Amino acid sequence: MKALIDWFDHRTGFKELMHEALYERVPGGARWRYVWGSTLVFTFMLQVITGFMLWSAYSPSTRTAWESVYHIQHELTLGYLVRGVHHFAAQAMVVLMAIHLVQVVIDGAYKAPRELNFWLGIVLLQIVLGLSLTGYLLPWDQKGYYATQVTTNIMSATPVVGDQVQTLAQGGTEYGHLTLTRFFAMHAGILPTLLVAFLALHIYVFRRHGLTVRDENHAPETTFWPDQVLKDAVVCLIVLAVVMLLAIFKGAELSAPADPSVKFDAARPEWYFLFLFRFLHFEVINKMGVTFGAIIVPGIIMGVITMMPLIHKFLGEFGHTLNKAFIWLLGAGIVVLTTMAIIEDREDESHQAALAEAHRDGARARELAAGPDRIPVDGAVELLRRDPFTQGPRLFAKHCSACHRYNGHDGRGTMVVDKTGIALPTAADLGNFSSRDWMRSVVVDYAGHFSWQKNAVWFQDAQKAESAGEEVIYLNPDDSEMATWADVDSLHSTDNAENLTALVEFLYAEADLGYKPLDEDEREAFNNPLAANSTLTDIGRVVAIEGAWAGDLEGTSCVDCHTSLGEDFVAVADDDADGYPTLAKYGSAVWLKDFIRNPGKARHYGEKNQMPAYSPQQLRDDELDLLVRWMTHDYLPSEVHDYENRLAELSESQGTSAGTGSIGASAAEE
Amino acid sequence: MSDAEPPELSTSADPPAVDPPGRRELLAAALSFLLGAVPAAIGGLFFLDPILRRSKGGGNDGGDQTMDGFVKLDITPDNLVEEGPPVASTVIADLDDAWNRFKDVPIGSIWLRRQQGGEIIAFNSICPHLGCSINFRRGENDFHCPCHASSFDLDGGTTNDTPPRDMDSLEIVVATDGRPDPNGTELWVKYQNFRRGTPEKKPI
Repeated sequence: MKALIDWFDHRTGFKELMHEALYERVPGGARWRYVWGSTLVFTFMLQVITGFMLWSAYSPSTRTAWESVYHIQHELTLGYLVRGVHHFAAQAMVVLMAIHLVQVVIDGAYKAPRELNFWLGIVLLQIVLGLSLTGYLLPWDQKGYYATQVTTNIMSATPVVGDQVQTLAQGGTEYGHLTLTRFFAMHAGILPTLLVAFLALHIYVFRRHGLTVRDENHAPETTFWPDQVLKDAVVCLIVLAVVMLLAIFKGAELSAPADPSVKFDAARPEWYFLFLFRFLHFEVINKMGVTFGAIIVPGIIMGVITMMPLIHKFLGEFGHTLNKAFIWLLGAGIVVLTTMAIIEDREDESHQAALAEAHRDGARARELAAGPDRIPVDGAVELLRRDPFTQGPRLFAKHCSACHRYNGHDGRGTMVVDKTGIALPTAADLGNFSSRDWMRSVVVDYAGHFSWQKNAVWFQDAQKAESAGEEVIYLNPDDSEMATWADVDSLHSTDNAENLTALVEFLYAEADLGYKPLDEDEREAFNNPLAANSTLTDIGRVVAIEGAWAGDLEGTSCVDCHTSLGEDFVAVADDDADGYPTLAKYGSAVWLKDFIRNPGKARHYGEKNQMPAYSPQQLRDDELDLLVRWMTHDYLPSEVHDYENRLAELSESQGTSAGTGSIGASAAEE
Repeated sequence: MSDAEPPELSTSADPPAVDPPGRRELLAAALSFLLGAVPAAIGGLFFLDPILRRSKGGGNDGGDQTMDGFVKLDITPDNLVEEGPPVASTVIADLDDAWNRFKDVPIGSIWLRRQQGGEIIAFNSICPHLGCSINFRRGENDFHCPCHASSFDLDGGTTNDTPPRDMDSLEIVVATDGRPDPNGTELWVKYQNFRRGTPEKKPI
C-alpha cells in the first residue's frame, strides 16, 4: 500500500499538496469563530450534488418546468428530499454568507493585505445572490414567476442599459421558454463555474495570508487538521441537520403553475429579500423613482461595503469602528424591515386571502397532476384553466358576487365590501346550491330561503310602490304561492316527515350533483359520493308527482304547478311555458346553464325576473360550463382545503345593519 | 511558405538573426488572442440574440386580428355601464413563444370602463411600477396593486407616489365586423405591454 502511495506521490506530488492543505497554521488555537468559511464551502458542495441530481430530472420550458419539478417533488425516489435540501441549503448559504461577512468585518479580516480577498468575497456574494435569484424562477410556479418579474423589471430600471439587460436576461421582451433556458444556463452553468473560479482564488489568497487571528495567546498554536477541521465538521453537520429537517418537515413549496393571465396577489420575494421589498414600499422612496430605491440605494450599500478596506486604510482604527458600526446598522435595518414586512403581511387580510388562494391553487394543481389523467402535453397550466374547482370561484366572484354570495363570501373567500363595510347580498347565497339542505329549505321555508333579495333596491322600490297602491309585478318571497303552500302545518307534521325527506331526496337526485368523468371507463368506475339514495328517490318521485302526502296536503303535488318536474329539461318557448318556474332537472347543469342565459324567459322567472341574462359576450360558453360544473360539483373530487364558510359573518353584519332590518320578519310585516 | 523553411528555423543556431523574438511573441500572442476571441465572439453574439433580433420583430401575439395589432374581445360595449365599476377582461390571442405557437390562449388581462359621456377606456392590468397585477377595490372604489401598494383612480391616474406613471391606457375601438363603427357591437383592443418602473410609457 505504502509503495503504491509513494508511486502515486512521485508522479503527482499529492502528499505535499495534502500537507499544505491540511497543516495550515492556526495560531491561538482552533476556534468556533473560524468555521463560517468552511460551512459555506460545505453548503456549496451540497448544492452542487443536489443541483446535478435535480438537473438530471429537470426540463426547462414553460410547459415542462413546473411539470418536471412536480415529478421530482412527488414521484421520484427521494425527490422531495433532494429538492428540499437544495431549496433550504440555498437559504442557509445566504444566512451563512451574511454571518461570514459580519465576522470578517468585526475581526477586521478585510484590512491590508487582505483587501483583495475581501473583494473576491464580495464577488462571491453577488454570485450566490444571482444563483438564488435565477433558481427561484426555475420551478415556473406562480410564486417564482411573479416575484422574478419584479426583479427583472427592477433590472430594467438600471440607467442606460436597463432595457437591454432585461431583454438579455429574459431572452426576449416577455417571459417564455427562453427565459427558462437562459435562467437555467445561468443557474446551473455560468454562475457555478464563476463561483468555483472565484472560490478557488478566494481560498488561494486566504491561504497566502493565513487566518486573521484575533488573539494569538488564546490557546497554543495548532494546525487546521484535525483541530479546526473537527470544529468545522461539527458546525457543518448542524447545518446539514437543519437543512434536512426543514426539507423533511417543511418541504420546498411548489405553488400553482405560472400563468401570466392569472393575477397573483400573493407575490413576495424570498424571505431574505423581504427587507428590500419593504424598502420599496415607502412612498418617499418611490417618489424618487424605482431606480433610486431598487438600484442606487442597494448599490451605495454594496459600494460602502466594498470600500471598507479603503476606509480603514485612510481613517485607521476609526475607519474600522465606522465599518463595524455600518455593518451592525445595516443588519439592524434589515431585521427591522423584514419584521415589518412579515407583520404587515400577516395583518393584511387581502394578502392572507391571496395567500390562501395561492395555496389552494397549488394544492389543486398537484392534485390534478396526480389524478387519473396526469398532466396533458399542453401543461399543468391548462389543467387548472380547465378545472371547475379552480375557475368556478373566480368566475363566480367576477360575475355573480355583486348580488349573490357563496357561503357568505364572494366565491374566493373574501367578504364583499362597499364603502360602509360588509355589503349585504341582494340574492340567494349559493354556497349550498342544489344540495339536500337547499332543496329542503326551498320546500319548507321558501320565504326565508330567498329573503336576501329583500336587501335589493328593486325589492324595496317595489314594496314602496305597492304600499302606495300601485300594482307591481315582482318576486316577493313572503307573498308567493310557494310560501303559502309551505306554510301548511301538515308539511311540517311528523306524518309527513318521511315524505318530505323522500321529496327532498328526489329533488336532490334531479340536480344530479357530482363528478362525471369524460372518459367512459372512468365514468363507470367512478363511485359518486354525492349520488342520491335511489330507494328514497323513488318514494320522493311519487310524492312530488302524485302528491302522495299525508293529511291536508294529500293530493297536492308539485306537478300541479311545475308541470315538467321529473322530466328531462326542455327549453320551452315563452308561449308554451306553464307560468311557473320550470323544475325539470332543477339545479342540474343543464337547467342551470339555461337559467343563467335566460332567467327572464317565461319558463323561469318571466316578468318577475330581476337577474340579468348572461349572454355569451359576458360569459363565454366555456366559462359558463366551468361555472356550472363547479356549482354542481362536476370535477375531480378534491381534498384541498377550500375557502372557509363565512355565512356567520354575513348574518352578523345583516343583524347590525339597521337600514335593511332583519330580513325575515320586519319586511314581511310591512 | 517553402518546404525548406521549417528545418532552417529549427536548426538555426542564432534565431534572433532570422526571426527576432519580438515578432514571434507578437505572433504567438495574436494567435492566442484569436483562439480565445473567436469562440468568445461566436458565443457572445449567440447570447446577445434577444437584443440583436429584436429589431427584426418576431416577438409575441399574432392572432385573430383584422385590424392591425388589435385583438377582438369577448366582451361587448353594452356590457359596460356608464360610470359603472371597471370590468376585467382577458385578452385571448395566439402567442408565439420561441419555437411554439399557442393558439387562442390568454395573453393578458385588461380593465375596461365606460366613462361619463359614454367613452370606453381600457387599461393594461399590469402595474407600471414593477409589473404586478392591479386589482379593483370595491370598498375603496379605486385601482390598487397588492405588491407595493400603487393606487390609481378609476380613470387610471395615480393617487399616491408609488407608481412612476398613470396606468397604461390601451387603444380601444368599437367596431362591426372588424371595422371601426361607433355603433358597433364589438370591442377591439390594441394589447401592448409597457416598460415598467419608468415615468415614460414605452412599449416593449
